[in-house]
Amino acid sequence: MSAVESEGVVLGDLEQAELPVASTRGRGSLVRGVAQRSAGLLFAFCLLLFMVGPLVWLGLRAFSGLWDFPQLLPSDWTLQGWRTVFDDKNLSHSMALSFEFAPIVTVASAAICLPAAYAFSRYRFPGRRVLLISIFATNAFPKIGLYIAMAGVFYSLNLMGTFMGVVIVQLIGTLVFMTWIPTAAFSAIPRSLEEAARDVGAGPLRVFFRVTFPLAAPGILVAMILSFLAAFDEATGTFLVGLPNYVTMPTEMYTLVLNYPEQVGAVFSILLAIPSVVLMTLARKHVMGGRLAEGFQIR
Amino acid sequence: MRRRELRERVQGLLMVLPPIGVIAVFIGFPLGAAIAYTLGKTGGPNSVVSLIAQRQHVAHHGVTIDAYREMLSNPTVREDLWATVWITLVTLVVVVAASWAIALYLRLSNTWLARAVSSLSVVPLFIPVVIASYSIFVFWGPDGLFRTIAFRIGFHGFPSLGYTLTCVLLGEIWVNIPFGVLMMSSGLNGVPDALIEAGRDSGASMPRVVRSILWPMNVIPTVIVATFTGIYVLGSFTVPYLTGPTQPNMLGPTMSNFFASFNQPQQAEVLAMIVFVLAIGIGAIYVWANVRASKRAGQIS
Repeated sequence: MSAVESEGVVLGDLEQAELPVASTRGRGSLVRGVAQRSAGLLFAFCLLLFMVGPLVWLGLRAFSGLWDFPQLLPSDWTLQGWRTVFDDKNLSHSMALSFEFAPIVTVASAAICLPAAYAFSRYRFPGRRVLLISIFATNAFPKIGLYIAMAGVFYSLNLMGTFMGVVIVQLIGTLVFMTWIPTAAFSAIPRSLEEAARDVGAGPLRVFFRVTFPLAAPGILVAMILSFLAAFDEATGTFLVGLPNYVTMPTEMYTLVLNYPEQVGAVFSILLAIPSVVLMTLARKHVMGGRLAEGFQIR
Repeated sequence: MRRRELRERVQGLLMVLPPIGVIAVFIGFPLGAAIAYTLGKTGGPNSVVSLIAQRQHVAHHGVTIDAYREMLSNPTVREDLWATVWITLVTLVVVVAASWAIALYLRLSNTWLARAVSSLSVVPLFIPVVIASYSIFVFWGPDGLFRTIAFRIGFHGFPSLGYTLTCVLLGEIWVNIPFGVLMMSSGLNGVPDALIEAGRDSGASMPRVVRSILWPMNVIPTVIVATFTGIYVLGSFTVPYLTGPTQPNMLGPTMSNFFASFNQPQQAEVLAMIVFVLAIGIGAIYVWANVRASKRAGQIS
């Protein structure tokens, strides 16, 4: 606490020194500036601890051998956990399975939703707004309740414990991304561009593939990334519908944390987080670009 | 011209049919079937699940609310319901307050520190919920950082939060903060600098500017954060399952237990319906706030 505060004082002074205007404001605002700076630093430190602390604390375990309770750091370091994960048939099988489901779900979702996104953006038809909102409304169901209701009917549809059943459960979570983001991407393309291409003699398909699609591609790519991640990280629905035949990486975590040593759980967590971290970093600009709020406004 | 219009209508409807169809068949239909099942209708789409179900309440004619009566009078379920409600409310309040604070900090002070705070707050976006839950359990649990530090400085009574509702609450807050911060930031960024400066120039204090300018212009994002956080927490399974106690816990794990472990799908679906009703209550506020805002903006009358 004191270390953070004193750092705050130092930085506060520096800032005051750099800004000549500040000196005219008198001692009161200087003290207030220092206090605000320290409060900001303290807040940032607490947030760092709360947000990143758990990840670091778990990450360390992936490389630790013996780590007895009151030790702040492991007493010896090893890669044994990694060997266990890669040698274990169950664990490596679930990894392969995850990389099977997520691409299939993403492609299926694109095939189902992209034509719809184009239609939502380009055609006028009755019920357009209501249908678009109803797709969004799938977000407004508490997930676990939805999965329980789905699972009940899946018995009759012969989907319980099947590959298809898992694909459908994961697909549900991707529909909103795959419809809303590409709809916005198509709508952002000026119609005049397409009309110009048509004027010089291009047919509708040629216009779509040479003009519309390339311009909408970044938005579609973001939608595919987010859908891939939604499917890859989906645990609850897969747990209810897929067990015991299909255990993907996230569902494996449910049992793994109870049956394996902590090191193995930590290694598995790091492996499971890699696709998320990499792909989210790629899609970061879009997600954090400030367009998020617009999608949630009913218009 | 009229033919082209007609073709556009038909083509548009045909193209949006696939996702709508998927939603109708795999969300709409199961919901309808679940409502019927919880009211004692075991035929049709519920016939297979009712073959394996234990302790079913069957309505031979009309409907029966016995399943609801059973669940709502079950003392452990009532404890779980209560836990779900308070964790949802506390998460919602904390997330709204924290994301307001962080977004406001970033809006008003564009220093490296403010930017660092806002990047820290979106870290959970990059982490799958399963890992988040597990790492939060390890961090606050028996071998956690705070317990270790407390023990080393001689305070041996520091509690382990692993498998407690407090740990569930910490997890829900952790998971939901990024959405709140992103939403609030994009809302507050929509407020023009000129407005804030005008307020300051006419002598308003900073708290006054926040109250009279920023708050009224950021009501809708606040409502969106509150409703979607609420609905997300109500429907969460992973966080309470991995970090919470066996009993009482949130309704997510309870539902899954009734469905898979106790072989009582009807009871599980009753709990799902109860959660839906809670969510509809929250969702109504969202729709109401949106409609009110559009009215004020003159978009609908």
